[in-house]
Amino acid sequence: MSPLRRLWNVLRRDRLDDELRQEVDTHLALIEEEERANGAGAQATRQARARFGSPLVHRERALDGVMAMSVENIWKEAGFAARRLVRSPAFSVAAVLTLALAIGANAAIFAVVQRVLLNPLPYPDSDRLVDVDHGSQRLNLPSGLGITRGYYYQYLERSHTLDGIALYAAENATLTGDGEPERIRTTRATASLATVLRVGPAIGRWFSEDEGQPGGPQRVVLSHGLWIRRYGGDPGILGRTINLGGVSMDVIGVMPQGFAFPDPRVDAWTPQQITRSMGFGIWLYGAVARLRDGVTVADARTEMNTLIADITRAFPGDEFAAGNSAGIALFSTVRTLKEAMVGAVARALWILLVSVGLVLLVACANVANLFLVRSDARQREVAVRVALGAGRSGIARYFLAESVLLSVAGGALGLAIACGAVRLVVSAGPATLPRLAEIRVDGVAVAYTLFLSVVTAFVFGAIPLWRSIPLGPALNESGRGNTATRSRHHARRLLMGGQVALALTLLIASGLMVRSFQKMRDVDPGFNPDSVLTFRIGLPDRAYPTRAAAVAAHLAILDRLAALPGVVAVSASSGLPLGSGCMGNTLLVQNRPIPPGTTPPIARFCAVAGGYFEAMGMRLLGGRRITRDDVERSLPVVVVNEALAKRVFPNQNPLGQYVSSNAPPARAEGAPGPTPLEIVGVVSNTPSRSLAEPDAASQLYMPMSIAGGPGIPPTALLGPDVALMAFVVRSSTPPSALLPSVRGAVSLVDPKLALALVTTLQAMVDSASAQMAFTMVLLAVAAGVALMLGVIGIYGVMSYIVSQRTAEIGVRLALGAEPRSVAAMILRQGGAVAVAGAVVGLVAAFAGSRLIASLLFGISPHDPAVFAATTVLLLIVAALACWLPARGAARLSPVEALRAD
Amino acid sequence: MPKHNNDRLQGTLDLLVLKILDRSGAQHGYAIAQRIHQATSDSLRIEEGSLYPALQRMTHEKWLKAQWGTTDSGRKARFYTITAAGRRQLDEEERRWLTLTDAVNKALRFA
Repeated sequence: MSPLRRLWNVLRRDRLDDELRQEVDTHLALIEEEERANGAGAQATRQARARFGSPLVHRERALDGVMAMSVENIWKEAGFAARRLVRSPAFSVAAVLTLALAIGANAAIFAVVQRVLLNPLPYPDSDRLVDVDHGSQRLNLPSGLGITRGYYYQYLERSHTLDGIALYAAENATLTGDGEPERIRTTRATASLATVLRVGPAIGRWFSEDEGQPGGPQRVVLSHGLWIRRYGGDPGILGRTINLGGVSMDVIGVMPQGFAFPDPRVDAWTPQQITRSMGFGIWLYGAVARLRDGVTVADARTEMNTLIADITRAFPGDEFAAGNSAGIALFSTVRTLKEAMVGAVARALWILLVSVGLVLLVACANVANLFLVRSDARQREVAVRVALGAGRSGIARYFLAESVLLSVAGGALGLAIACGAVRLVVSAGPATLPRLAEIRVDGVAVAYTLFLSVVTAFVFGAIPLWRSIPLGPALNESGRGNTATRSRHHARRLLMGGQVALALTLLIASGLMVRSFQKMRDVDPGFNPDSVLTFRIGLPDRAYPTRAAAVAAHLAILDRLAALPGVVAVSASSGLPLGSGCMGNTLLVQNRPIPPGTTPPIARFCAVAGGYFEAMGMRLLGGRRITRDDVERSLPVVVVNEALAKRVFPNQNPLGQYVSSNAPPARAEGAPGPTPLEIVGVVSNTPSRSLAEPDAASQLYMPMSIAGGPGIPPTALLGPDVALMAFVVRSSTPPSALLPSVRGAVSLVDPKLALALVTTLQAMVDSASAQMAFTMVLLAVAAGVALMLGVIGIYGVMSYIVSQRTAEIGVRLALGAEPRSVAAMILRQGGAVAVAGAVVGLVAAFAGSRLIASLLFGISPHDPAVFAATTVLLLIVAALACWLPARGAARLSPVEALRAD
Repeated sequence: MPKHNNDRLQGTLDLLVLKILDRSGAQHGYAIAQRIHQATSDSLRIEEGSLYPALQRMTHEKWLKAQWGTTDSGRKARFYTITAAGRRQLDEEERRWLTLTDAVNKALRFA
């Protein structure tokens, strides 16, 4: 009876009892029949009882017997196995540690995958939620346009595939009152957001439809985080009025903990006060919708594309509607919300899961090898057992009891390792990972660990089994000097070669990641990130109602900052490299008509204060920089980056050319477009979104006094809104030490202003490569562990082979073999296996590295240098692991070797 | 591993059951009991119910194989057959029994 079968018996005592009852009843009935046939008549039943005895007693005895056998044997077997393992502590510790390391790594990555990939959205039926996004062929945007009011109403009114849609827009606002002014992230959302996501406030209520109408009452719903942080979790917050961006708002609710839409940084939600009569509008919003039951994402996309083609009929005469459908080849890029949120990291995490799975395989191979060595050493013990009548199952129990015990111990220790590793991942992981903070080793992860332990137990427990039975001739091998059979070495070499192959595959993958990371860190960011403090200041519209007022305030702040001791240079921009804040728009060159059917170039428009390029350390490649004077006199000048100059003015001098932002689409004839701006300088490229950009984006910098801002309609398309500017303060002292005096300087201008997103340029550059660093470190750890286990495996196998051949080696040495040639012989044997494994690993890596191609940067997935370097590293390490036992063999004294065994 | 049971009566019962099943093929509990009565000419009277702990135990030792079937009168019953391991056990038990009785006989004769 196998241990599992026995456990099963104990668990199903009732079922056994039912079967037994049926059997006993039949027996009693048959006795009764017999007695009746013999003329017992009414006495038949009593006679049957007398002959049978008490059915209850016999049944209980029968069951107890079976149960006792089952329970007792499980414990007995476990006890024996434990004693055997304790007797060979080196083996047991090595096996448990190996398994713990591998199982722990698997459990930790599984916990991350489980939370981040399998279950990233804390909303009911979250797989039905879709991100309603658009792309345009003509604007060369595959996705990311977002949505306009017009399409929101189009889908809301006409879609049959959606069960509700909600519009939202993320903003920043300054929260005043109750302590220091604080810049918080808010989201304007339609009242439908709560019904689409199916999440309501923890306390209070969500917005009503009335509050979503223009001119409706000002309401705000707080995040759990803000409620605790700023208001101490006071339930009396409901009904209180807070001041957000200069507007008084009634707090009507607090969302539950963990509610983080659209991202974890949002602190408050306010009603999006819009109505259909406001017209089609521009691409300012995002939208989330819920699919009707039975509808697929593809169905929704098909329907939306139909509705897009029909938009001009829904908004007749609306020039924006006319210009934003077929004219720019607009298409729906609706996709599941989950994909929108975790699509980027999904591949990295799956690859990590596969990698740690490979590590587990290496670990299993290792422990299986240890087991093989052990089982060989115990051939005779096992053979004796077989001779004494132990069947296949008895021997199976003998080995399985040990492997189960080892795996369970390894699993328990692995769980502890996983808890630590998860904490590390949470603290080091990129902040963009959804639900990162919620990752923990929970019940599911524990179950997974248990499952892994059992599977590994059977994987490595079965190998010696398959090899140990039948064991008939084993007893004959009792003479001295016998060597293990060829097949046994064969199995061991196979495992060793497999380890080498897996380790090399992982080494190559991590090598490619390391090289990518280095290349990314070597990317010239086009600016100097050393010792620069940066933060954002947003001016509330109420206090600074015009662009002129906003510019004046920024200039006043800059003057105060420049006067601080230790400050070397200071300036501001609507958007920094690797961040948002610049307006993407088409670029028109004066006197250069756009041929029909072609797409005008797109550029990012940034608004800057004087001295921005100096403060950032950007290089001037031609012409001049934007100065304080340009800003104060609102001169219509721009500086472009190198990418724009090359792309828009190939073989031409961009200096002196005039450009303007795109006029609103289909604008009425004769209306004046934006003022043409003269290009006065060219500066170095800076990365716009990530360090891994294959081509730098075209970028253009204008004095902030001529850009967009308060009082300037966004449809004027002049440039980004200068109410919100990112300040850069370069100092000769450490930036963090500068912060208090910077805060003081800002509050001298306006005590109600808050500093948001305070960080350093270096930190921004670091976080831009954080995800790659994260993947790289985890892959490198996986590869390191695999290499370590592989080396241990090789060493173990080679040492064992040497020990088995001690007598043979003694004979060779006694007959005059050179110790060096003996060592070479051992080395050759191990080397052949290692080289074979390496070849398999190279082939596997060559085929598999395409899978990680999307994670790489600036390097081919088949980079010969990485393949060569990792292979050489592996072979050197493998040679070392073979050489130590080989040296041992060479140093044997022939006399002792012959005496051995 | 086969367990040794020093309970002589139980050992005897095991021996009888194994022997009967070895001779006759698949049998249910009632039939086994009847055969014990016949074979011993009713001189060994045991409670028929005490067969069941023995049958269960021997089934779990894999000496017997149990299968559900119907009796001649159409009742559901478990039919037991002896396995290869059971035959080995039977040989062992028989040998042991003979050794024991032989020893006891000798002792009785020469004591």
